[in-house]
Amino acid sequence: MQSVTLTALQHDQELLHSYLQLDAAARRPRFAEFIGTLKGISQREGAHAAGAWAARAVSPLLDYSSLMKLRRFVPRDGADAASGRVVRLAILGGPTTIQLRQLIELFLAGEGIAAEIYEAEYGLFRQEILTPGSGLDNFGPEIVFLATGARDVTRLPPIDADSVAAQQFAETELADWMQLWETAQSRWNATLIQNNFEPSPERVFGHYTLRHPAARENYLIRLNAMLPEVAPAYVVLHDLYSLAAEAGAETWFDPRFYHEFKMPCGAECLPGYAHSVVSLLRSILGRSKKALALDLDNTLWGGVVGDVGPGGIKFGQGSGEGEAFLEFQRYAKELSQRGIVLAVCSKNDPEKAKEPFEKRADMVLRLSDISAFVANWNNKADNLRAIADRLELGLDSIVFVDDNPAERALVRRFVPQVAVPDLPEDPSGYIAAVARHRYFETTSFTREDSARARYYFENSRRKELAAGAPDLEAFLTSLRMKMKVEPINDLNIERSTQLINKSNQFNLTTRRYTLAEIRGIVDSPEWCTRTFSLRDELGDNGLISVILLRKQGDALAIDTWIMSCRVLQRGVEQFARNELVDLCRVEDSVRLLGTYIPTAKNSLVVDHYAKLGFSPAGSDGAETFWELRVDASATPLTHSIERDAPLA
Amino acid sequence: MPPLRDVRAELQEIFRQVFDDPTIVLRDDMTAADVEGWDSVTHIDLLIAVERAMGIKFATAEMSRLKGPDQNIGSFIRLIETKLQAG
Repeated sequence: MQSVTLTALQHDQELLHSYLQLDAAARRPRFAEFIGTLKGISQREGAHAAGAWAARAVSPLLDYSSLMKLRRFVPRDGADAASGRVVRLAILGGPTTIQLRQLIELFLAGEGIAAEIYEAEYGLFRQEILTPGSGLDNFGPEIVFLATGARDVTRLPPIDADSVAAQQFAETELADWMQLWETAQSRWNATLIQNNFEPSPERVFGHYTLRHPAARENYLIRLNAMLPEVAPAYVVLHDLYSLAAEAGAETWFDPRFYHEFKMPCGAECLPGYAHSVVSLLRSILGRSKKALALDLDNTLWGGVVGDVGPGGIKFGQGSGEGEAFLEFQRYAKELSQRGIVLAVCSKNDPEKAKEPFEKRADMVLRLSDISAFVANWNNKADNLRAIADRLELGLDSIVFVDDNPAERALVRRFVPQVAVPDLPEDPSGYIAAVARHRYFETTSFTREDSARARYYFENSRRKELAAGAPDLEAFLTSLRMKMKVEPINDLNIERSTQLINKSNQFNLTTRRYTLAEIRGIVDSPEWCTRTFSLRDELGDNGLISVILLRKQGDALAIDTWIMSCRVLQRGVEQFARNELVDLCRVEDSVRLLGTYIPTAKNSLVVDHYAKLGFSPAGSDGAETFWELRVDASATPLTHSIERDAPLA
Repeated sequence: MPPLRDVRAELQEIFRQVFDDPTIVLRDDMTAADVEGWDSVTHIDLLIAVERAMGIKFATAEMSRLKGPDQNIGSFIRLIETKLQAG
């Protein structure tokens, strides 16, 4: 039986879906309808079902009153904890924290993080921490958020204090805070989130504040500068000062709400404040986003590269819009240097999509910055799933940025785990549009973070290639290796000498030569030299092999053959052997002679000459000698490497 | 002169939203005690919603007084109207 009319439930669900796939501006006029639909769902399907939908609508782009309406539907106090662990969070305010706590609860629900929250009476943060048996002590927090601010500083230097005195005041002040942290850490093994201090814009000393260490705002800035130095790693700093600056002084420091209700900031700044704290909580719990998937046309550059070519796109210096795209690429690049993995998810011809990166020197992002490059004509929901697979990341670790609202809607609908920020028409607004969501907060930065992009790039490329390459031969072909063959010359003599002197494993004779000796070899008519430089799909490997040969009557004797182990099992040896056979023909030599001198490190190449078709030609102790007759029987060995440039 | 706003109707809608009760009908003689859920916390939500929706700012002294014993919905509406005219 088929029915064209939707059931009431299907109708409601369609309404909710179609709301959630929209940008914030398009959602706004439909918010009341969305809330009405949630009420219907709540009555028919239960509070739990309505709560799950409401949580998906939580956004830092909503105003205070709208968020409070959503809050009615969202389950609280870890009520939804069946699925996972419940975080025990304490919020200890200098100012009142009721609204802040409500909004933190809401944003946590929006992140799917179940939390049990303890909220102290305002102004009692010290007593709560330091008094055994306090409400906080009985609660036993995992994370303590010290929702304090400039008004909670107790020691201000007298107005005539000098820098030394101000410093002493600051040290004494911070010692108090350190005692709070240490107590919370030792008593409950808690992680702390500590606000810094927000100097107000009204300054008694005006610009002279900068010169006077006892001026209140100067002193607060001193405290802020000292905080990261005195705060141990278990104290996560929350930059309240920057929040106030972002909001603008007039909006943030709305003193009416402090004077009358002891609220920490202006009402409309509360959602941003709560969201900012939750972004740190998310990071502490290891739930920050890890990857940024980027569209190409009109996202990383202006115009459609398939139409106008890499030279016709709007990018870089010369036009305001071009500079805006450049800035956005720089932002993405800096994120990747910080450890955020970049991916491309574009509807494009894959070759054309890569052209701007390959052909334009002014591109900020390079192909090597992009760990997964997916350009095809499939839908982007499927492509994002493929990207998640290839990077071995969950869909909920990915942020997807696309200028096309239709693509954003499709992704929000079919892969709702992926975060999809609104993007304005104007590329100058792209960075702010992504940054305002605080997707990529971190509580640490290590060398591994900066190397991560590289790791994901290589791993993903290997996966990509392995997936399409069922056997080794096909795999090597897919690498599209190109070899440049040259004698040793002025440009490569230093690298050649370096390689000769440091190669141990792939080194047939382990003979070392100084730069001067190599120069003598190059200049001598008795010697021939060959260097090999390999590049492939994964990048440029540079000069990776050197062979030195000496003329001996009708033979060419291989004095030295070294290769970088990075390019093992790529067919480089086979390629080089064919080159040497060709060289013999040029030099009218009929035999190639090889020697293997074993060392502690070069057993790797014990069978080197046998593998290349040489015949044994005696031995001297452990040394073995090899010979290859260069006649019609010396057919080329197979490999997958293309010659890059003809030998001069 | 801009067209006069129906402050009472607008305020009634805000009350319905803030206190989540679509049946609220405002009368001049109503006080905080007559509206279920109008406590010190929801009062702040109410102020924030009214300021945003009406585009006005209450003075510090007005913020809590609105809920005081000598105040009612009638005086609330008159205060908003005064502010709208001044604005």
